[in-house]
Amino acid sequence: MRLLRIRLRDFRGVHDREVHLAESGVTVLEGENEVGKTSTVVALDLLIDFRDDSRAAPVRAAAPSGRDAGPEVEAEFVTGPYRVVYRKRWLRRRLTELTVTGPATEQLTGREAHDRLLAILDETMDRDLWLALRVEQHTPLGQADLGGHDALTRALDRAAGGGGAEAVGPAADAAAEGLVERALAEVRRYHGGHGRPVGPLREAAERERVARAEAEAAAAAVSEVERDVDLRADLDREAASLAEERRTQNARVHELEDRWSALQARQQEVATSAERAEAARERAARATERQDARTSLVAVTAAAEGAAEDAGRILAGLEAGDRARREDLAERRAEADRAQAASDAATAAARTAADALAAARDRTELADLRGRLRRAGTAEEARREAARAVAGPCADAAAVDRLETLDRAVVQAEAELAAGAATVEVTGLADHTPLTVDGADREIADGETTTLPVADAVTIDVPGAVRLTVRPGLDGEGARRRVADARAARDAACAALEVPDVAAARAALRTAGEAAARSRELAAVVERELAGRSFDDVRTAVTALAERMPAEAAPEPTTRRRGARRAVPDEPGLFEEAGLLDDPSADPEPEDLEPLRLEAVRSLDLADEAHRLARTAEDAWRRLDASVTTAGAEVVAARTAQAVARSEADRRVAELRAARAEHADEALTAAATEALARARRFEADHEQRAAALEADDPTTVEALYATAKRAVEALTRRTADVERRRAEVTGRLQVAGGEGRHDRLAAARTELAAAEREHASVSRRAAAAVRLHETLARRRDEVRRAYVAPFRREVERLARIVFGPSLALEVDPALRIVSRTLNGVTVPFDALSTGAKEQLGLCARLAVAALVDAEDGVPVLIDDALGHSDPGRLERLAAVFGAAAAGSSHQVVVLTCTPARYRGIGATRTVTLNPSYPPPQAVPDGNDDHADAENDDGPADTPSEEFRAG
Amino acid sequence: MRFVHTADWQLGMTRRFLGAGRVGQAVGEAQARFAQARLDAVAALGRVAADEGAAFVVVCGDVFESNLVGPDVVGRACEALRSFTVPVLLLPGNHDPADASLVMRRADFTRRCPPHVTVLDTPGVHEVAPGIEVVAAPWATKRPLSDLVGDRLRALEPAPEGVVRVLAGHGAVDVLSPDEQNPAVIRTAECRAALADGRVHYVALGDRHSTWQLHGEPRIAYSGAPEVTSHEETDPGNVLVVDVGADGAASVRPVRVGRWTFAREHAVVDTDDDLAALDARLDALDAPERTALRLAVEGTVTLRQRARLDEVTEAHAPVFAALEVDTTAVATRPDDADVEALGLTGFAAEAARELADAARDAADPAALDALALLHRLAVAR
Ligand SMILES: [Mn+2]
Repeated sequence: MRLLRIRLRDFRGVHDREVHLAESGVTVLEGENEVGKTSTVVALDLLIDFRDDSRAAPVRAAAPSGRDAGPEVEAEFVTGPYRVVYRKRWLRRRLTELTVTGPATEQLTGREAHDRLLAILDETMDRDLWLALRVEQHTPLGQADLGGHDALTRALDRAAGGGGAEAVGPAADAAAEGLVERALAEVRRYHGGHGRPVGPLREAAERERVARAEAEAAAAAVSEVERDVDLRADLDREAASLAEERRTQNARVHELEDRWSALQARQQEVATSAERAEAARERAARATERQDARTSLVAVTAAAEGAAEDAGRILAGLEAGDRARREDLAERRAEADRAQAASDAATAAARTAADALAAARDRTELADLRGRLRRAGTAEEARREAARAVAGPCADAAAVDRLETLDRAVVQAEAELAAGAATVEVTGLADHTPLTVDGADREIADGETTTLPVADAVTIDVPGAVRLTVRPGLDGEGARRRVADARAARDAACAALEVPDVAAARAALRTAGEAAARSRELAAVVERELAGRSFDDVRTAVTALAERMPAEAAPEPTTRRRGARRAVPDEPGLFEEAGLLDDPSADPEPEDLEPLRLEAVRSLDLADEAHRLARTAEDAWRRLDASVTTAGAEVVAARTAQAVARSEADRRVAELRAARAEHADEALTAAATEALARARRFEADHEQRAAALEADDPTTVEALYATAKRAVEALTRRTADVERRRAEVTGRLQVAGGEGRHDRLAAARTELAAAEREHASVSRRAAAAVRLHETLARRRDEVRRAYVAPFRREVERLARIVFGPSLALEVDPALRIVSRTLNGVTVPFDALSTGAKEQLGLCARLAVAALVDAEDGVPVLIDDALGHSDPGRLERLAAVFGAAAAGSSHQVVVLTCTPARYRGIGATRTVTLNPSYPPPQAVPDGNDDHADAENDDGPADTPSEEFRAG
Repeated sequence: MRFVHTADWQLGMTRRFLGAGRVGQAVGEAQARFAQARLDAVAALGRVAADEGAAFVVVCGDVFESNLVGPDVVGRACEALRSFTVPVLLLPGNHDPADASLVMRRADFTRRCPPHVTVLDTPGVHEVAPGIEVVAAPWATKRPLSDLVGDRLRALEPAPEGVVRVLAGHGAVDVLSPDEQNPAVIRTAECRAALADGRVHYVALGDRHSTWQLHGEPRIAYSGAPEVTSHEETDPGNVLVVDVGADGAASVRPVRVGRWTFAREHAVVDTDDDLAALDARLDALDAPERTALRLAVEGTVTLRQRARLDEVTEAHAPVFAALEVDTTAVATRPDDADVEALGLTGFAAEAARELADAARDAADPAALDALALLHRLAVAR
């Protein structure tokens, strides 16, 4: 189809406008917003789709606002072999006119015209493709639904070089598509997801399964009866054979029973003889026992006699020894007593000697202590005296030093005074002229001059002559005061030291030092004499010693070896010199203790020796005493043993005597011999009988008899068992007989056969559906795959202009772009940017337009698209239009309000749409509300504008 | 002396091709009518016996289809026997052997069994009436190990003067079933010998469901089943009315009592005319409600003809007691017209051609089915 011309009258805001389109190539319709570009497209749809009597919403929307006129559209186009002018007016003064000018001329109006036109379009044009190739305003330019369009399919088919040569109606493939769907629906009747059987197929399979289970169960029930019938026959046979066997076995049991009874009687006899022999054996044993007991009694009696005699001998021996020991013991006892007495005496002597020695020692010590005490007292007295001297004020050496310093200060001050003071020279005029200077008498020799300093007032008396007082002037006052101060200080110090002058102080200091030395010396003496103890301790010791000393036993020792100087009274304080204190000669002569000590030692040694002897003697006595005691116990034991042995021997003798009185020894021996002989006879008899019985093998006979009886019992049990089982089987058979198992099996097999037939039939129908759908779908996909290649080639050719040479596309059999690969990066179509989708969508449409046959083709209508493409891409898209047009004669119509977008596409024709308003006089009612802005603008002069592209 | 010789009543028999009922209901209407027909035949032969003045009726085995038939089958059998006016002797056969499960010893049988009925479950001579003896050779198990008839014959002395003796046996005879391995096969030579020396005067046999007499010796005969049981049978539906003369000579006369037919038909279908002829043939068949027909069709047809064939047979099926159509010998060859008639275009046309090509190969029956389905879907469009 090619649009040649379209004219709108009273259509929406357009009063009257006719647009001529280029028959091939691109026609750009440009104009302001709302100038009615889109109305042109809408008008075409209304013209084709709605009859003139329609009052559908799109028709009413097309009515011009505020004017009482019906919207009118007239289009001239070529489609297939037909050239058509078609005009329609709706709502008012309705009208349909069709003029076909080729190949044959037709002129139709009204309903006929409408129907004829649709027939022509159906015959010649793919209306779905017409809609698919259109890009509406303000809708995203995405994928076109291109699959299944006849014209495109034919074109692609041809491009693919495929078959399908026959001429077919345009709806044929759509019908084929419907067949695929119906075949799929048929498959779905039988198969769900994953080929799962559903509906009749599942039901048939289920019926067969149930029928098979029932047939098997019924067959099993019949088999069960057949087995029971066989089993019953077997049991019948078994019962008969068991009865026969029992008869045979019973006869054998009777025969063995007779043999066994006879043997049992003989066994009884053998048992009796055995008992007899056993009794004789026991009697013989008893006789032998009695004989043995007698022999043993005789021996025991003899032994008891012997034992009693031995015990008597032992006792005698022990008693003799005991007596001897007791005599010895008395002797030893006396000896020990004697030794003890001697020891006691020696001990007493030693004690006496020791006492004498101790008393002598006490006396000596007392004397010594008294001497020491006395000497220490003297020394202590002296020390205290010395200590008192030490305690004087001058004893302080430092104080004396200070005094001397003060004294030197006085001398110094005086010297200073004298040096600075006036002097009085006194020159003697005569020898021994007395004079007193300041109260001090002195003499002066003739010619001698004495210079006296007048430090202070100096009074010089010439006795009896004059008193001359020389007073210093004021010049020496300071020196004089210093002298006075120094003297005052020195005198105060002397007073403090309780000495008249410095010399005295010095002497006192020396005396104190000497006293201190002596005090230390004396303290050492006291220390030595008291040996570190206090006086009280020593005095206590002396007191203690003196009390201990018996007054009568303390004779003054008289023995002296140095006695010439004695007789000095022992009085303290008589010794002036400390050295005397150490003189031991002041002590009494010490007593000589040696003889006493020797005596004490000797007597002690004697006492020790005596004691040792006493101890030895006592030990000897005690040992003997112990052995005597032990031996005594032995004697007692021996005596008891002897008594026991004697009694035993007596008892045995009595027993033997009594026994012999009853049976003499010889009688017992004879009885034993006789009993033994008798026992042997009975045993021989028994053995003979037993051997005879054994020869007849009673064990085997008994075993055979028992076995035969058991066999009969077993047969009885088996018979009972068979009868029981037979009864069971019979019972089962009776029950089964009434159940009609054959009928059940026959019915089940019939049902199974029917179910199998039905299942096979349904399965076959299902397989047919699957096969048909599979074949149709496979063929369809093959066709589509064949279409895809040329389509993809064409789209890629165009899209490479936009995206560059690396572009590749994937296209599915429904001719949808699946993904775009650019520079090796593959992106799914849906993930592309809006601009890229728009560009690819445009390429796809132009590719279709380029591919479709010129006479099959429909215009590509693009209403203000490419709003998402940047200027660079727009330029390339423009080139796409050109490339698509090359070698093809299809028609492209672009509507735009932004002509710049399409400047570069090389439009065959550009039409500028201007507003088309009705003439003022055409407005029937000026008071009408003109809401539509298009109508308010100035009137258009030309109803139709047409410009040839430059 | 006249008596009726019959056998193989097979009471309780069902036939699979008579169909199941609805889903889950095994016994359909045809099956029930067939069962009734067997009882009707029994009643009919009872009337024959009465009409002919027979002394007794001997049933030579397989009275029942199985020892395990249900109480209803037994009860109806007893009812049918009740209508008899002459003594009836029932011999256990291979289907109802006299083992522990013998139906004719079951309580439900003995309770309802009329007094003129005797069960020949023990081998040996039975006196039916003075001067009339029946020698029974019943089956005691399903697998006898010897010729039961021969065993009985060998145990007999020639019949006393004035006594008519009939042997009742069951099983295959050696001339019909020359099976060396079967120890139980009935040796006709022994039967002939026994007839010759007067031990018996007639050997009444059961087991073969078609009426049959030994060639040259009409006194050795199978009566056949009184009502058909199988398509393989050649002459079922009869009883034998036997007359034994005082000299031992016997005459045998078959009387028809069965009313059902198990038929086989063969048809060749290659053209539309053949199809019309087949339709007419099926129309012409008598008593289709008592007929189980096995129709074997052969020929080569187009897809449309095949559809027509199915239509024809399906149209007749409800009328017959059973109509089994065997089309394995029919070759369906879709022709171009079959495909064109579909009016398909594009890939659908290609798919149809592919299926048609595949369908010409007999090894791909699914292709034919798929093509038929395509027809249906395309027409339904
Ligand atoms: Mn039979």
